[in-house]
Amino acid sequence: MDIISYAAGFAIMAGIYAVFSLGLNIHWGATGLFNIGIAGFFALGAYTAALLTTQPPDPMLFEDFTFGGNWSEIGFLDLGIDLWFFLGIAAAAIACGIIALAIGYVTLRLRDDYLAIATLGIAETVRLFFLNEKWVANGSKGLYRIPKFLGDLVSPENYDYIYLGVVLAVLVALFIAVELALKSPWGRVLRAIREDEVAAEASGKNVFNFKLQAFILGAVIMGIGGALFAHNVRFLAPITFDPLLATFVIWAMLMVGGSGNNRGAILGAFAVWGIWTGTQFLPGIFEDPNFRFFMIGALIVTVILIRPGGILGEERRMAQTVKD
Amino acid sequence: MTNSPPLLQVCDVVKDFGGVRAVDHCSVEIETGGITGLIGPNGAGKTTLFNLVSGAIAPTSGRILFQGRRIEGMMMHETFKLGLVRTFQIPREMKRMTVLENLMLVPAPQVGERVWASWMMPWRVAREEASIERQALEVLELVNLAHLTNEYAGNLSGGQKKLLELARTLMAEPKMVLLDEPAAGVNRTLLQSLAATILQASVDRDITFVIIEHDIRLVMNLCDPIIVMANGTVISHGTPTQVQQDPQVLEAYLGGAVSDSS
Repeated sequence: MDIISYAAGFAIMAGIYAVFSLGLNIHWGATGLFNIGIAGFFALGAYTAALLTTQPPDPMLFEDFTFGGNWSEIGFLDLGIDLWFFLGIAAAAIACGIIALAIGYVTLRLRDDYLAIATLGIAETVRLFFLNEKWVANGSKGLYRIPKFLGDLVSPENYDYIYLGVVLAVLVALFIAVELALKSPWGRVLRAIREDEVAAEASGKNVFNFKLQAFILGAVIMGIGGALFAHNVRFLAPITFDPLLATFVIWAMLMVGGSGNNRGAILGAFAVWGIWTGTQFLPGIFEDPNFRFFMIGALIVTVILIRPGGILGEERRMAQTVKD
Repeated sequence: MTNSPPLLQVCDVVKDFGGVRAVDHCSVEIETGGITGLIGPNGAGKTTLFNLVSGAIAPTSGRILFQGRRIEGMMMHETFKLGLVRTFQIPREMKRMTVLENLMLVPAPQVGERVWASWMMPWRVAREEASIERQALEVLELVNLAHLTNEYAGNLSGGQKKLLELARTLMAEPKMVLLDEPAAGVNRTLLQSLAATILQASVDRDITFVIIEHDIRLVMNLCDPIIVMANGTVISHGTPTQVQQDPQVLEAYLGGAVSDSS
């Protein structure tokens, strides 16, 4: 096996998971919003981008969904480069933002544990919607003609390298944006809400409003992650958005890397994804998915015991002025 | 002072918690300026009255006016914007944020609290932060917490957390501050400087204080007028001397404590 091309494929997936981990770091790490329905935003982002870019449904291939694809017929957008890829990402972000606004508006007045139940329920609802409503996205047969970024301009053997560049560029841009936002007074208000909602309210902050903003921004980032995922795997079916691999594993990444620290969120994604994919080369019983999940569980327990805040953990923000 | 309308008016306010009537047809007026003491036996409804005025809870019935404006049922961040700030009996500090951050959080409105500000106008946010930090360091000097600037607030002692609560209200540049037992857990030496800080803030910064306190000596020295509550309503309102001589107060609460301390 070509180790370099394998590493590229690994880095693409780890990079995409790092995007989700950054989104969760806004929800949980900064604001303390207990979102255990990441899979819902993951699916919504992925399907939105896929349906905007996939080939039109072909009855000969038993595709019976209604909408989708072939925007190249719209002349002025057929520029030879894949504009629809970017529009798909933007649409995924917007779709997740709108849904987060609706969900957040009704659930963020609830206490933490109710938000957890609500997000979990909504994620399952999204998955079952795409499974049962075949006219939307082909049901359990899934979408399997999602185009590559740049279409056929890149030879298949080089595609992973090009796409790795795209994923890393998006990841770096999101990292900078989230890092700036969480270090700003806006992020300070979010951390105050995480620490004590009542005290934040008594300090004059509109807690509900800030929680809604954080929930939407995190969901938008998760939507972008979903879109990147769709164009990498290029096959989407409801089974992809199983809570185990689309929610739990992302929580593991943030916990291991360091909740409240964006670098930790990214580090955790690469570490956990490394263990998850690395263990599949182990012989015999160790190759079993259950054992591999056990390994991730063991990693979480080890990190929590040795470094409760995660490998990197939240940084203390010191005074800027030098005191004399 | 007598010509201007009262800063705070509580009119016939009732608050029921299930079958318990915590505040019972309570009416009280507080003039602008000065330090008002609010005393009364445990369960008199003092903290509930603070919760009602600050907006932590809404009254069952009755009206509350701040500067002539109805405020009952408002959220705490809304009364905060009107200049009405409160502290908590049990300090509520942001534990995993530094003392300085706890204070820098408070001033409002901050340009940097908009999510896009750090992307679109980082220099403006940086300038604003520098000036807020200067203000916070001054307040920390004032309450004797400057040596703990970069400490996590969760690591402070009980008394230091009380001082942090007071510091938080000073950061807000408020018109009225409601202090719920600011002296509880603060040692004797620090108590003197705490009283001095409150007095100084009320004069220099034109802040009207209302203080719930069980330390009778502190209340009698620092506060004028004094309001006495019992069973959810006001039973006496006057100067320390008047209140101490009010037979109803003696019966309900003060008893021998007054003669001990005077």
